[in-house]
Amino acid sequence: MNDFLSFALTYLPYLLQGALVTVEIAVIGVIFGSILGLLVGLGRVSKNPLLSQLSRFFIWVIRGTPLLLQLFIIHFAIPSVFSALTMPPFVSACIALSINAAAYIAEIARGAIQSIDKGQMEAARSLGLSSSQSMRRVIVPQAFRRMLPPLGNEFIALIKESSLVSTIALYDLLRTGQQIISSTYRYMEVFFLVGLIYLLLTTVMSFIIGKIEKKVGAYE
Amino acid sequence: MISCNNVVKTFNKLEVLKGIDLDVAPGEVVVIIGPSGSGKSTFLRCMNCLEVADSGTITINGKIVESKESSLNKLRQDIGMVFQQFNLFPHRTVIGNIMEAPVLLKKVTKDQAKKKGMELLKKVGLEDKVDEFPNRLSGGQKQRVAIARALAMEPKIMLFDEPTSALDPELVGEVLAVMKQLAKEGMTMVVVTHEMGFAKEVADRVIFMDGGYIVEQGSPEEIFGQPKHERTKEFLGHLK
Repeated sequence: MNDFLSFALTYLPYLLQGALVTVEIAVIGVIFGSILGLLVGLGRVSKNPLLSQLSRFFIWVIRGTPLLLQLFIIHFAIPSVFSALTMPPFVSACIALSINAAAYIAEIARGAIQSIDKGQMEAARSLGLSSSQSMRRVIVPQAFRRMLPPLGNEFIALIKESSLVSTIALYDLLRTGQQIISSTYRYMEVFFLVGLIYLLLTTVMSFIIGKIEKKVGAYE
Repeated sequence: MISCNNVVKTFNKLEVLKGIDLDVAPGEVVVIIGPSGSGKSTFLRCMNCLEVADSGTITINGKIVESKESSLNKLRQDIGMVFQQFNLFPHRTVIGNIMEAPVLLKKVTKDQAKKKGMELLKKVGLEDKVDEFPNRLSGGQKQRVAIARALAMEPKIMLFDEPTSALDPELVGEVLAVMKQLAKEGMTMVVVTHEMGFAKEVADRVIFMDGGYIVEQGSPEEIFGQPKHERTKEFLGHLK
C-alpha cells in the first residue's frame, strides 16, 4: 500500500496534466457541440426543405460512422489531400469531438422541441409573434429544460470518448497513462488511477448538470 | 368587422366545413353552439388562420386573412384568441405572459407594458398573482390570465375556443364573468361554447352548427325559445 501511494504521488502530477488536456477538449466539445447541435436541431425541424434535408444528412453521416474514423479523416485524410488544412492534434481533436457531439445533440434538441405542446406555438402565433420569435421566446426556452437530462448523458459520453484522441498523438489522460506504463510497466496502478480520474471528471459533470436542471426547472 | 364567405376546410378527405358564411358587426357578440365534431372550433381557428381554409374568403376589418407570414402577424395582433387549454407560457410568470407580446411587437417599454399588464390583471381580479408561475394557478385563474394576455395587445376582436370546457364546474363562473364584462364594454366577440346560460344572457346572436354547416341562427330567444330546425331542437333537447 505504501508502495502504491508513493508511486501515485510521483506520477499523479503527470496524469493531472493529461487530465487537463482531456478537460479542455471535452469543454470545447461541449460548448461548440451544443451550439452547432442546437442549430442543426432547429434546421431539422425547419419548414425549409433544404435546411431540414441538409441537417438530416449531417446527422445521418456523423451518427452512422465511428468517431475514431472521423478523427482520422480530419487529422490524416483531409490534410493528405489539402495540406493547408494540416492542424495540430489538439485542434483536430476539438473539431472532431464538436462535430460528433453536435449530431447527437441535434437529435436531442429536435426531440425536445417536438415534445413541446402544439398549443404553445399556437398561443404565441395568435398573439402576432412570427414563427422565429415564437421559437426563440417560447419554444426553445421550454425545450432547453427538457434537453438537460439527455444532454448530461451526452456530455458524460463526450468526456469518455475524448480518450480516442490519444490515437492522434495528443497527450490526454489515457495517453499520458500509457506513456507512464511504457517506462514503469505498472499497468494496474496506472490504469486504476486513470479510471479514478475519469470517474471524478464525469461525476463533476453530472453534478453541474444537476445544478443547472434545478435552477432552470424552477417553474415546474 | 368579420366577414366569412363560403369557407371550406377539409382534413384528410374529411370535409369539416362545407361552405360557411358569417358576418359579424362591430361590438357584436356571436356565440357558436353545436355538437362535437360539428366544425365550430375549426371555423373559429380559420378566422385567425391557425387553420388555413381550403377555399372561401375571410376578411377582418376589410383585410383578407391569408397565410402569408408578414401580413398575418400584423393581422393577428388585432385578434385575441383564448384557448380551451389556456396555453399559458409555463416558463414565464403571470406578468411575463402578459408583457411578452406587447414588448416584442408594440413599441412600448417594459415599464409601460407592466403598467398596462397590472391594469388588466386588476380587471380580471388577479392583481395578487403578478409574479406567480402559471402552474401555481387554478384553471379558472389560468384562463383569466390568458384573457388578460390576449387583451394586452389591445385587439379589436376576441375569439374564444371553448374557454370553460377544461375547467372544474365551480371555476366556470369566474371566467364567464370576465367575458360578460368584456361584452358589456363593447368588444366584438366570437365564442364557441357549451355554456348555454352564457349564450342566452350575453349573445347578440346564436349560431347552431352541425355537420360542417350553419343549420340555424338567430337571437337567443329565437334559438332557445322556438328553434325552427329539427336538428336544433334535438340538440337543445339533449341538453335538458
